[in-house]
Amino acid sequence: MAVEGEEEKTKSFKLLGILDIQNIPCARGAVLHGSAASIFVGLGHFLATSRVKRSFDFGVGGFILTTLGSWFYCRYNNAKLRIQQKLIKDGLKNKVMYEGTSLDPTRKQNSSQGGGS
Amino acid sequence: MAHPSQLGFQDAASPVMEELLHFHDHTLMIVFLISTLVLYIIVAMVSTKLTNKYVLDSQEIEIVWTVLPAVILILIALPSLRILYLMDEINDPHLTIKAMGHQWYWSYEYTDYEDLGFDSYMIPTQDLAPGQFRLLEADHRMVVPMESPIRVLVSAEDVLHSWAVPALGIKMDAVPGRLNQTAFITSRPGVYYGQCSEICGANHSFMPIVVEAVPLEHFENWSSLMLEES
Repeated sequence: MAVEGEEEKTKSFKLLGILDIQNIPCARGAVLHGSAASIFVGLGHFLATSRVKRSFDFGVGGFILTTLGSWFYCRYNNAKLRIQQKLIKDGLKNKVMYEGTSLDPTRKQNSSQGGGS
Repeated sequence: MAHPSQLGFQDAASPVMEELLHFHDHTLMIVFLISTLVLYIIVAMVSTKLTNKYVLDSQEIEIVWTVLPAVILILIALPSLRILYLMDEINDPHLTIKAMGHQWYWSYEYTDYEDLGFDSYMIPTQDLAPGQFRLLEADHRMVVPMESPIRVLVSAEDVLHSWAVPALGIKMDAVPGRLNQTAFITSRPGVYYGQCSEICGANHSFMPIVVEAVPLEHFENWSSLMLEES
């Protein structure tokens, strides 16, 4: 198991020598989205204006903005998911620990619903 | 623990370290994008045929390269401050352990319920059993119950030391005459290694820290055993 883990980590691919796109969540998706946007924007600008250098500028700008946007969107969703996982995990633990006692979380919910009706 | 030639962080074993890993990913992506931009600007400037010796000022670009770095710094500072305050939250610890640094070993005291204390020396390389890690194993581990908030009071008896466990995201200086407090919760059972992180003499590199997180029953059994031995 440890050997497999080490093999996975040694296969990591680092962009510019720093960004490990295989092991960092959302990194691969963000870079791929950014690359696609860069090609579309750069090519589109060139086809419209025939200006090579300016098209490259737009391509790089599109890459940076799209990578950033895709990254934050994915990380925000990931963070929401992690919080939900933590709540579920704590809820399960509390349910197992306090089932049948006065601290049972489902018991408190049921009693408050019964009081309302 | 770390594997050979590892450059990045170890896997997180506490919620704080998980947050630190996420913050590091966030900051690294920003650094990567800035590096891409700078690299592109360098290539563009080296390959341009344009020359203009008479540009005196340009308000627009000055505004851009003042406001943009400020925005980037705010984007980095906000999550950083969040984690800083998260680490300082009062968490009602179940157990308090004193970690005292000496030249050149650590001693741990569990004095909440009984008077339990022991020293933790590095196992010399010639005494290692097969499968043990060179310069990292200790004869007595600091055993803690898993998924329980633990408070560690760190100090030193002689010179400066530092109690560090990377997998838990902890580093706290051990200063003689001063009590420094840190706290952690281990998310999963396991053995987590660290090394003294403040130069303290000839054997500074040979006083490791080993934290073993076990289920509560195992911790109770271990503490009873240690009390009997002492």
